[in-house]
Amino acid sequence: MCAASLRGVNNKVTRRSFLGWATGCATTLAAPALRAQSDRIRFGLTPVFLTNDLELLHALQAFLERVTGYDVELITRRTYQEITALLLSGRLDAAWICGYPYVHYRDKLELVAVPDWNGQPYYRSYLIVSQDRKAEDLPELEGDIHAFSDPDSNSGFLVTRTLLFERQLDPDSFFRKTLFTYGHRNVIRAVASGLAQSGSVDGYVWEVLREIEPELVARTRPLRKSEWLGFPPIATSKSLAYSPRILELRNALVSMSKSPDGQSVLSMLRLSGFEAPDPLVFSGIAAKYNMLRGVL
Amino acid sequence: MSLLTRFRRVPLTIRVPVMVVMLMVAISAVISERVLDRLSKTQEVYLQGLASAYLDGIVASITPSVLREDSWEIFDSIERMKPSAENILPIETVVTGKAGLVLASSNPMTRETLRPLDGKFAAKFDGPNVVIDPQTRSGYIRRSIAYQNTVVGTVYAIFDVTSLLEERQQILVTLLATNSLITALLGCVGFVAVRRMIRPMQVLETHMIQAAAGSATVIGESEFLATNTEAASLYRAYNELVNSETERQALASQLAEEEKLASLGRLASGMAHEINNPLGGLINAVDTLRLHGERSNVRQTSIDLIQRGLHGIRDVVEAALATYRPERLARPLEESDIADLRLLVRPELRRRRQLLDFHMEGALSPEPAWPAGPIRQAILNLLLNAAAATPDCGRIGLRVEVNPNALAITVSDQGSGLPEAEATVLTAGTKMTLREGKGLGLWIVREIADELGAGVTVSGSANANTAICLSIPRTKYEVSDAA
Repeated sequence: MCAASLRGVNNKVTRRSFLGWATGCATTLAAPALRAQSDRIRFGLTPVFLTNDLELLHALQAFLERVTGYDVELITRRTYQEITALLLSGRLDAAWICGYPYVHYRDKLELVAVPDWNGQPYYRSYLIVSQDRKAEDLPELEGDIHAFSDPDSNSGFLVTRTLLFERQLDPDSFFRKTLFTYGHRNVIRAVASGLAQSGSVDGYVWEVLREIEPELVARTRPLRKSEWLGFPPIATSKSLAYSPRILELRNALVSMSKSPDGQSVLSMLRLSGFEAPDPLVFSGIAAKYNMLRGVL
Repeated sequence: MSLLTRFRRVPLTIRVPVMVVMLMVAISAVISERVLDRLSKTQEVYLQGLASAYLDGIVASITPSVLREDSWEIFDSIERMKPSAENILPIETVVTGKAGLVLASSNPMTRETLRPLDGKFAAKFDGPNVVIDPQTRSGYIRRSIAYQNTVVGTVYAIFDVTSLLEERQQILVTLLATNSLITALLGCVGFVAVRRMIRPMQVLETHMIQAAAGSATVIGESEFLATNTEAASLYRAYNELVNSETERQALASQLAEEEKLASLGRLASGMAHEINNPLGGLINAVDTLRLHGERSNVRQTSIDLIQRGLHGIRDVVEAALATYRPERLARPLEESDIADLRLLVRPELRRRRQLLDFHMEGALSPEPAWPAGPIRQAILNLLLNAAAATPDCGRIGLRVEVNPNALAITVSDQGSGLPEAEATVLTAGTKMTLREGKGLGLWIVREIADELGAGVTVSGSANANTAICLSIPRTKYEVSDAA
């Protein structure tokens, strides 16, 4: 509810203030509840993930429960903000979040593992347009209705926003209108249908959907691909970073590629595996975050 | 001739089924129109309900998004709420905001987001009621989005009503096929029924035509069995009429025969007189021979007298035999036959002190072979009729003319004219019915004329000097034709 109202007023300073307040709550008010929940892992998933695939969710849950020995509860929310707030408030033990919230709350969060896509913990942001559009570069998108994924998404917002900033383009007037679809697949739908003339989307999602839903994705094309940036990581709160279940969770994720059921999950995710976290992976996102600090 | 008049002349067996078919077509048209009208209204109510339910859901779902002008949420709602199981699917949904700008559409390519709505498109909608356009096979409906009694936007929805129109089409085809079948069936039933109903009339008509042609026959028992009581009654009445006519004809023939016998009696009486006349001389001659037979001159004179007398008797007897046994006279007509006739009527003429004016033009020869028997009978009848019509001491005429085309025999009298009925018998033929057996002799003449293929003409005024001409064509009796 709080998240919804925050989204409704669309005030980012207030939102981030709320998240900071929630972090404090996580270390005080939520502590008894966490102890009570110590026999299970509450794992949050954001729309960066292909959350509409129930088979994948069941397979992931079954794998994690088998390897960690804990009951695993998968919790999905519509926005990054909701998942981040739950994580910071201690109502989630770990979550698959975007690199942008991780960088933003780096002092309160700890990396658990980073996915490898094509053997690398990196992905790119795509600036997409409809397939038959002649545009070649960002300036030609002036006056568009532009679809972002989520205001807390790196690939679905931060990268394009930074690009505008770098090119000294006014984000409020460059696009005729911007809209948030709260899902990378929705960005592709918006552009493919013509609702929006361009969109910012996770390159990993775009590439995976090209295999799964070729008819949808074929109606769009990447106009611009960003540099390689840190793949959305699995993070936990600093207070839980070294708890047994988080250690078990990290172990399960990193060893996922070594077991058949883990490989099955990775196959569905089109990922090659998970690796131990290296904060330097997110230096590119951190640079963009720092560039826009005080602007957003 | 007007169409109605022409139609009235069409046979009943065709006219009644055609009328039945026309009536059925009219009834079918009215019923079909009513059914389709009712179906159309039912479909509109159904579509209205369906569209309203769809719009209710859409409006409830997107109202907050419309307030925020959140195009994506509106688009996503439209996409998610698109029914897939219905026959009637929304093919386009457009949502506009307060300013009339398109907030989202199910097909953003044609209705671009945040652009004014096309006026032509908006004009197709007529408020909350569905408007069906058969041309585009679409139903158009519009609904305002109200929030706290303020209109904040509008939803336009277009439905594909092809299934409804196809249903109408199918029902129309079914109606037409069913009605056509029923109409055709009723037409056939009408045709058969009317045909059965007028069958007795046709049977009666056939028999009446035959009767008019001179060969009236009674309607057979099989026809009685195949018909109803009313027609049977009609058949019975007709049969009674035919039987009565047949009896009348038989009676007429009998009377004719009697007439012939009567005239024979008269002739026999004349013949007796003819025979009796020479008999006196013969007896005298025999007496003379008995008394003065030794005298050669007396004997010779007496014998000559006896011979002439016997020849006269023989001629009279032969003429009578030839006339009343016509089968003995199948030979061609000769001039001796005409002489025989003069001989035959002589007693009657003498009795009436009448004279016969005989005139012969041309000569009779073996070719053509006009049959002697019937011609003798006909001339004799005409002569006797003329003698009867002519007053005592009057004159009757007999003219025989052999011309290149025919044998013309004319018998004239000095009577008071031939009664019209008898003249009609002669000229109109034996099909005429005789009244009370009068004119039987002439009726027999007519019968013989028909047999000979001869024409009969009656000339002279209605009250004096009648001349009856019997013209027997030559061609019929030529050898080449006879062969």
